[in-house]
Order: sequence, then C-alpha cells, then structure tokens
Amino acid sequence: MHRNSRLALAIVVALFFAFALPAAHADGEKVAVFSKNLVNPFWEAFRVGANVAGKQLKLNIVHYTPTKPDDIGEQMSEVENAIVSKPAAMVFVPVDMKALGPAVAKVNAANIPIVNAVDKSATGNFVTFVGSDDRTLAHATGVALLKAMGGKGNVVIIEGTKGSETSQMRVAGFRDALKEFPNVKLLASQPGNYVRLQALNVMENLIQTYPQIDGVLAANDAMALGALEALSGAHRKALAVGINATPEAIDAIKRGTMLASGDFNGFKMGCLATMAAVRALQHQPVPKEIGIPAVVVDKTNYQPWDVPVAQRSCPKWSDFVH
Amino acid sequence: MSATAAAPRRKAIMHAWGPDVLQALYRVAAVVLLAIVLAFLSKAFLSWGNILNVLRQASLLFLIASGLTLVILTAGLDLSVGANLGLSAGVAAAVMQATGSPVLGSLTALGCGALIGFGNGSMVAGLRIPPFIATYGMLWVCSGLTYYFMGGGAIYGFPAGFRTLGTGYLFGVPVPIYAMVGFLVIGTIITRRTTFGQDIFTIGANAVAARLSGIPVRRRLIAVYTISGAMAGLAAIVYLARVNSAEAGIGEPLLLPAIAAVLIGGTSLFGGIGSLFGTVVGALLLTLVLNGMNLLSIDANWQPFATGAIVLIALLIDTVTRRHSERRA
Repeated sequence: MHRNSRLALAIVVALFFAFALPAAHADGEKVAVFSKNLVNPFWEAFRVGANVAGKQLKLNIVHYTPTKPDDIGEQMSEVENAIVSKPAAMVFVPVDMKALGPAVAKVNAANIPIVNAVDKSATGNFVTFVGSDDRTLAHATGVALLKAMGGKGNVVIIEGTKGSETSQMRVAGFRDALKEFPNVKLLASQPGNYVRLQALNVMENLIQTYPQIDGVLAANDAMALGALEALSGAHRKALAVGINATPEAIDAIKRGTMLASGDFNGFKMGCLATMAAVRALQHQPVPKEIGIPAVVVDKTNYQPWDVPVAQRSCPKWSDFVH
Repeated sequence: MSATAAAPRRKAIMHAWGPDVLQALYRVAAVVLLAIVLAFLSKAFLSWGNILNVLRQASLLFLIASGLTLVILTAGLDLSVGANLGLSAGVAAAVMQATGSPVLGSLTALGCGALIGFGNGSMVAGLRIPPFIATYGMLWVCSGLTYYFMGGGAIYGFPAGFRTLGTGYLFGVPVPIYAMVGFLVIGTIITRRTTFGQDIFTIGANAVAARLSGIPVRRRLIAVYTISGAMAGLAAIVYLARVNSAEAGIGEPLLLPAIAAVLIGGTSLFGGIGSLFGTVVGALLLTLVLNGMNLLSIDANWQPFATGAIVLIALLIDTVTRRHSERRA
C-alpha cells in the first residue's frame, strides 16, 4: 500500500510536469485566430499571414473558422470553446460586427488579450484594431475605374450579400466615387451575394436590359470575374473592378481582362494582428488602431501580389506603426 | 341546361387528361402569368436574348433538380446535391487542369457525382438510414472534402472546347437548354413508360406494398440516389463550363432552390406524385423571379421578400386549384 501510493504520486507528478512544463515555456504560446469562413481566399491569406507571423515569433497558432460560412452561432460556440482552452491571446474577426459582442465580453471577462482584425466589432475591449476601411477601399477602387472610363459612360454595381455590412460599406464607397464623376451614369445596383454564379446571372440579366454598359463595380473579385464571364459570353466588353486581389483576379489583371482590384491584404492583416497580440503579451506599446492603407492593384503594381501567399514574408511592425 | 350538359363534358375531359395534367396546366399558367406581368413592366423581358438567358439559367437549376425529383418521388430526400456538385466540380477541375482533357474532366465529374449518389443510396436502402439524415451527413462529408481539397483557392481557366458545354450555342440556342430538354424527355419516358419509372412511383406511394408486390425496392432506391448524384455531377460540368472556375462553397447555395423547384413543380414530399415537367416549371418560375428583379432594378433589400412572396403565390394557386378540381371531379 505504501509503495503503491508513492508510485501513484510519482506518476501524477510526472504527468503534471509533462503537461505543465511545455505550457510554462514562453515559446509555443497559444494564440487563437478567428476568421470568417473557409471559402473566401481572402481569409486563407489572413490565416497564412497569422501562421507566418506565428512561425517567426515561435507561437502555436490555432485557427477557428465556422464550417458554415459567416455563421454567427458557430463562431460564438468557437469563442466559448477557445476560452476554455486558455490561449495566451486571441486574434478575432467577428462574422457580424454587432452580434458577437457578448462573445467578446466573455473573452474580456476571462482576461485574455484580444486583437480585433479586419471587421471592426461594435463592442468589446480590444488591444487594437488592425484593418482597412471597406468604404475608403471601395472608393479608391471605384475612382480607378471611373478614371479609366474617362469620367463618362454607364456603370453597374454588383453588390455583395444583402444586409451584410461589408457590402453596404463597399457600395457606399462606390457611390462616393460616383459622386465625384457626375458624367458617369449608374444604371443599376443589384446583389450578387458575393457568389460568382449569381453575379454571372445578374450580369446577364443586366446586359439584356442595358445595351451600353461601360464599367462594372463589383464588391468582390469572385463577382467581378463572374460579371466578366457574362460579358464575354454576350460578346460585350466593359471595364471591371473587384475587391480582394485574389490570385485569380491578379491573373485576370495580368491578362488585361480585369482592370483592377482593391486590396484588403488579408495576409498583412493576419501578420500584423498576430504581432500586435504578442506585443500585448509582452506589455509593449500597441496603438489603438493600425490601419493598412487601401491599395488599388492594377497592371502597374501587381507584382508583389503575384507571389503565392505562403511564400510571402510578413511586413515589419515599424512599416505600419511609427 | 348548360350546367348539366357542361358537367359530364368536364368530367370526360378530367377523365381523359387526369387531374394531374390539369394541375400541371395551372402551374404553367402561374409561370405564364408572371412572364406576362414582367413583359408589361420591362421592355427588355421579351427580347430573344433575355428569353434564352432565362432558359439557360433555368437549365442548370433543372439539371440539379432532375435527379432530386426522382428521389423525392420515392418519398426520399437528397440534401447532398449541392455539396455533391461542389465536390464533383472541384475534382473535375483539378483533373482537367492536370491532364488538359475535357473528356477526363467530364467523366470525373459524372463518376464522382454517381459515387456520392451510390453512397447515399447504400445508406438509405442498405443500412436503412432515413434519407434526411443519410444525405445530410453526406452533405457535410462532401463539403468538408471540398474545403480541404480546394483550400480557399480556386481552379480556373478551362479549355475552350469544354466551355462550349456551358457557353456555346447550337443553331442559335444555348447548349445547356438542349441538355434540359433532352433530360426532360429521357426522364419523362423513363418515369412514365418503363417499369423502373412505375416502380419509383409505387415505392413513393407505398413502400411496403411495393416490396410485397415483388418490386426490388432496395435496388430501385440505390439506382435513384445514384442517378441523383450523377445528375449533380452533370450539373457540375455545365457549371464549370459556364463559370469557368471551381472553388469551395459553390454548391451549397444551389440546394434550396433545387428543392424549391421540385416542390413548386408539384412533386409531393410524401412521394408518389410528381413529374419532371413540373420541375422544369418550378425552375422556370424561380429563374423568372431573379430575372424580373434584375430587369426591374428591384432594391437588394426587397429581393428576398419578393422571391418568397412569388413562390408562396404560385403554391397558393396550385393548392386552391387542386382543391377546386378535386371537389369538381
């Protein structure tokens, strides 16, 4: 009995150290990274950015992504599960800017430092917000198209998912750009739901209604490419811009079929958000907002975006924070 | 005098044509009514280009929904058709990119779709898993495999010859429309004129009686689910040819419209009643709604409401006229 209980104690102590010691190391700190879905290449770039930064900083990056794209309920469950696993820090992109407030409150209550990335959450205590502004980006992209059209002609807007805030802000940005070019006529603004096939069908229908369309403002690249397919099928031409600068869009820009794409640079955001989380852990200063300037990628400057995401390296912190 | 003379005549017509055909005519009338309204409201609607567009867009929806119709006729359900299309499209795209062969790509899509369908059929008929659960699980398996396989990227750019399957014209009519008509004819012949088809209706009406009367129920069910999967694979081919790219998540948005097309077309969820022609009508109605909303520039925020309202009105017409004709006959 005496020997057995000592053996048992030894085993328990050994197990304790086996589990506790790795966690006590500064290296391999767990950072939970939340993204919106597995479907949009933008989020893939974001996750790769977090991975690259994580490798640089010797972190253990754990990804949480809803299997049903942008599903609020699923993300809330993921946050709760993540809190239980006690990560050192979190990088968080809310699938909905308002609905995830309670989940963020739980993270705050658990005293886990949390960085907000890409989409600004309406409530919650965050270390910082790393992102761009949908509206500014769309505005810059729209201006690029309208300038290329020579400031005159007809355009259509292909919106994103009805009711989604990113779509609303991007369409608002496009309309801001249109205000600056009074000789350009907006023929229609119809939803493609960020889905390529729907944008294709919508564009086909619009082509039937309007004999002259000179420009297409699409709220993301997949829809821009769908609209271009519709145009080529009808043997018509128009200039098109999208948002996200996905590899396929870069290819189209290279070939000259697509004019430009506004870049949200998910990769850089993933990098910087992860870096910010680590700095918070190390009690280093982090500004309240880190803005990634909007870039319109076109034929003149696409080269850095032509590198596959996995091969890119993270920008330097000092490039963005002065 | 006219009432008594008219009633037997009406009864004779009903007897000759059957209440089913009259219901189908009422359904077609609903679609025609919508078309007339749209023609009034929009100049562009009746243009040849727009009509071809609507038919072509409806063709893709019909192809997915056609196999599903057979499944629902057996009182079953196939929730995996959308995810099936997504996975088949992804795998076929990869094959086409690697080998450059549209034939191999098409065969891959068909094979992948049929395999998934066979899996569904085996679960439903062999393991006696309820169709909803079996195909729901298959939906997740296919979705997950697609996400893993495509990894947030896209495969795009297919050979021009292949693309004619989706974007090409034959005698001025888009190719997918020939596919729709072709499968409508073949499918209707199979369901109305072959033992296989009659068996499907019988199984849907009363599976126990079907088994007792010697119908090989298990074999029929496996066949029906495999066909549903294969049609999803075929739809994947048309999708790839139209859109020229494959990515994860393309299939999911197509599931509910496919089910809606089947049900709007008059096929009963309880099995035993329905037709492929009805599914064509259902697909046309749904496509017309989107077409109309785009042509009339209906604000994005109202579009879901408009879609729901029109679908409900169509079903209302169907239900009221069915009750009316049942009372009369």
